[in-house]
Amino acid sequence: MKSYTVRDWVYIAVFGALWGALELTLGAYLHVLFPPLANTFFTGLIMAGIGVAIALVGHTFVPRFGAVLFIGIITALLKVLSLGGSKIGPIVAILAEVILMELALLPSTLRGKPPARWQYVLGGTLAVAWNFFHKFVMMRLLYGRGITEVYVKMVKDGSQTLGIDVEQTVAIIGILFLLRVLVGAAAGWLAWDLGRLVSRRLARV
Amino acid sequence: MTRAQPPLRPGSYLAFLVWALVLVAAVPDAGLGPLLALVVAFGWVNNRGALRVLASPRLWLFIFSTVALTPLLLGEPDVRWGPLGISWTGLETGFWMALRAITLTLAFSVSVAALPVAQMIRLFDGLGTRGLGFALGVALNAGPVLRDTVEAAYHTLRLRGGFRLPVQTARLFLITVIANGLRYGDDVVKAASARAFDPAGRPAQIDPLLGKVDKAFIAGLAAIAIGLLLAI
Repeated sequence: MKSYTVRDWVYIAVFGALWGALELTLGAYLHVLFPPLANTFFTGLIMAGIGVAIALVGHTFVPRFGAVLFIGIITALLKVLSLGGSKIGPIVAILAEVILMELALLPSTLRGKPPARWQYVLGGTLAVAWNFFHKFVMMRLLYGRGITEVYVKMVKDGSQTLGIDVEQTVAIIGILFLLRVLVGAAAGWLAWDLGRLVSRRLARV
Repeated sequence: MTRAQPPLRPGSYLAFLVWALVLVAAVPDAGLGPLLALVVAFGWVNNRGALRVLASPRLWLFIFSTVALTPLLLGEPDVRWGPLGISWTGLETGFWMALRAITLTLAFSVSVAALPVAQMIRLFDGLGTRGLGFALGVALNAGPVLRDTVEAAYHTLRLRGGFRLPVQTARLFLITVIANGLRYGDDVVKAASARAFDPAGRPAQIDPLLGKVDKAFIAGLAAIAIGLLLAI
């Protein structure tokens, strides 16, 4: 971390602030639109997709180990410091997502080479897929030992949303998980292109 | 920014949050009442302003909707009320869930969230991550600038009829916002360099994260945790 320059830290701040601004505006709006108990799917998925894309674009400009993690920490802190924003669920989600993205970027860091597109896609996939398990982790905290009930509720909600018979439990869970994988992969893919596009605009290639 | 100076050092607040998180997950339902009382007491003694979260309508809306909806969503119905099936098990689960949610929210509000920004930045300095404290300061100040950038980009695209091509517009919007954010970042870099800021250097004065009082406080937290887990 000693190798981080002032520019690196400032860019980390800018991307953290961008993600934080979206969490505070769009995230709050979506949470009101889809109350937590009435909707298990969309808010977290949309916010995770956008956040992952911003953090990975940030890595294009600060291609160092830990940059994505620091962007996530700044975002989480901005959420902590926001008025009425001290909710623990999104903060745990943001931190888990950035750790997973860092893990995906680790192979290139260890080799000392720039990351490849597949790593962005993998990072995005892992991070947004966390959204699926996040509900269980948070509900373990909130419900205590009622994790089975969360699973049953997820299946019921999924059955209604997807129009699939509630008996098809595995299919419902599979589709819900696959949806997250697809959104995450798309976010990673787009982040790769977007980072390069912005670099070209700013003549930094 | 105008919060009062907390009596404990930042390390204690961090320790309190970790303590509360672990206990919320670990104590059985019956232990939640005493835990909530301890969290409220901590907030009352250290930062009463942080307890204002209890006056938030959003928090109570969440709590009441949880207690109201869980009997309908969880468990086998015990009573039928028209098309609605009400489960006592669901109601009980909802009650404990609400109690955990209040405890978590309060623990968060009275601990790390109650720290002023300057204390939080000092916390990073104390942890040897000066750059992160600097980045937090920049991010807090960049907020309004980025919001203006987002608004300007949005209105420019809208006035030029960009919404007729939503995908292309979304791409242009993101490119504009990120590029302008980075340009703003370059100005900050120039300003920081002009002041010879060195993120790897040590600040002139670092407050230790924990003092004697804080160590005693953390020992007390550990004792209470063991007591709570053994008693219930």
